[in-house]
Amino acid sequence: MTRLVAALSGLVLLLMGASVAIGAAPLDVAAALRDLLAGRRSLDALILAELRLPRAVLGAAVGFSLGLTGAALQGLMRNPLADPGLVGVSGAAALGAVVAFYFGFSARFALALPLGGLAGAGLATAVLLHLVRRGAGTATLILAGVAVNSLAGALTALALNLAPSPYAALELVFWLMGSLSDRSLLHVALALPFMALGCALVLATGRAMDALTLGEETAESLGVSLRRARLLVIGGTAAAVGASVAVAGAIGFVGLVVPHLMRPFVGHRPGRLLLASGLAGAALTLSADIAVRLVPTRPELKLGVVTALIGAPFFLALLRRLKAGDA
Amino acid sequence: MRHLLRRAGAWPGTGGAAMRGGAGLLLAAALGSLCAGASAKAEAPRPMRIVSLNLCADELVLRLADPDQVASVTYLARDPRSSNVADRARDVPVNRGLAEEIVALRPDLVIVGAFTTRTTTALLRRLGLPVLELGVPDSLAAVYDQIRGVAERIGVPERGAAMIAGMKAAFAGLPPAPPQRPTAIVLRPNGFTAGRGSLVDEILGLAGFDNLAARLASDRMGQLALEEVVAAQPDLLVINAASDAPPSLADELLHHPALAGRRTLGLPTRLWACAGPELAEAARRLAARAGRPE
Repeated sequence: MTRLVAALSGLVLLLMGASVAIGAAPLDVAAALRDLLAGRRSLDALILAELRLPRAVLGAAVGFSLGLTGAALQGLMRNPLADPGLVGVSGAAALGAVVAFYFGFSARFALALPLGGLAGAGLATAVLLHLVRRGAGTATLILAGVAVNSLAGALTALALNLAPSPYAALELVFWLMGSLSDRSLLHVALALPFMALGCALVLATGRAMDALTLGEETAESLGVSLRRARLLVIGGTAAAVGASVAVAGAIGFVGLVVPHLMRPFVGHRPGRLLLASGLAGAALTLSADIAVRLVPTRPELKLGVVTALIGAPFFLALLRRLKAGDA
Repeated sequence: MRHLLRRAGAWPGTGGAAMRGGAGLLLAAALGSLCAGASAKAEAPRPMRIVSLNLCADELVLRLADPDQVASVTYLARDPRSSNVADRARDVPVNRGLAEEIVALRPDLVIVGAFTTRTTTALLRRLGLPVLELGVPDSLAAVYDQIRGVAERIGVPERGAAMIAGMKAAFAGLPPAPPQRPTAIVLRPNGFTAGRGSLVDEILGLAGFDNLAARLASDRMGQLALEEVVAAQPDLLVINAASDAPPSLADELLHHPALAGRRTLGLPTRLWACAGPELAEAARRLAARAGRPE
């Protein structure tokens, strides 16, 4: 387990390095880093600090949040298809962030942006968990996700059309697909604390996740408070996904794919899966974000396009396997 | 976005589509009632119910025509953030470019943009209404052609000539370019810039600047990555947007911290998106910043 975590951490650091090295302008990363550390405001240092680093840091943090919350939702709902994107949590977060951003709330009070995302994500998570507790199976949960996603998407489009800026309506694709292009240190400062807090809350449910594999009653009899675990996952997912969507849009499928890839490596223990999925999510998101910069399109490809290209076929394959398992 | 499209036809490759239609679309009946000859165009009946479907056409019509000639302009003309003639538009009925409302106005001349309200324009043509289509000028010469064309078509050629003469005088009055031209990049929402062969490029040159984007951007309306703008280190960054624009990601890009500390000049889009005297004002504001390299 520790070897897996070490290997994944190494991979994430490597990809962050690559992310910093790749960009539109030629940049001597070593020289830029020396300038930055020496406090010289050179051109290279400026590009490194204000453009490349925020992108790499956000890529890792957003990916970690999505991978981790995907694993936690799958564990808590005991549903292999739970994923913040599929079940509508990301979509609802985008709605909250859109309202906060385009109607001037975040211009007056910067924290309104992540808080808007957080409110949307929290609401959606609570609704879905309520459905699950009333006995909704895999299919019902996904259908509820379709409904939440459609509603959130429609309300987001409505909000963007009502927004005073003439550009707003065209920016729907950012909120639905996600991107890390031209983010700044301000975005990092706004979102990272919420993501860190949310991830810490979710990681604290590791033992409860393991116990839950034995069923809710057995878990309770083992002294695990399911109420506490639920609250931690709801609160943590709201903070982590809400903040990441608020600065990067809704990037789909990371939370779905990664836990399935990691499960064989952690002996199918949901508690251990959490950290591994977070790290793998970071690696996947960073790789996808490197890919969009290597594909020569202008404007830059949205990040969610790449993750969906990987994730959607994976989703279909997963459905087929689940069907075979049922039979 | 709609008003930006209306204003500039803001898409790449909008080259030489200027001034089509026009005189050729005069109603045959109207022509028949005139004496034939070379002066037919000048003596065509003066349109008295002009409807404009395009913000740039709004400005020309409201400036050149008599007030009683104008039946309607776009609702955008009343917005001082996008329009230079908001005060003149206050007493004129406005439209939203929908075919039904235009037909109901019973216009005797409809002036449209080459890239906006396409469905409405097609319908108006099918109904046989006289339509004058304005392209997006890519040079000052094309600007003067457009002003001249509109002024003649609405029966006030002398006012068009006066406007052109005034603009030419204003451009001639600009201070000479400094021997070592400072460099500039124009940055618009969403990272769009003005490259080679654009009207903005020509105005930058007249104001004494060397347009860096002419070397960087692949076409007239190219998009630049923020990194490219920072790395190019222009002497002046011209932020081509309203300073009080409502929040959008497109606009947020212009306030990215990586651009902080650079010499910038905020120049509202309305000053240099349309054919009209404001172009000289844009050049004057730019030229004031060309002479003092810091």
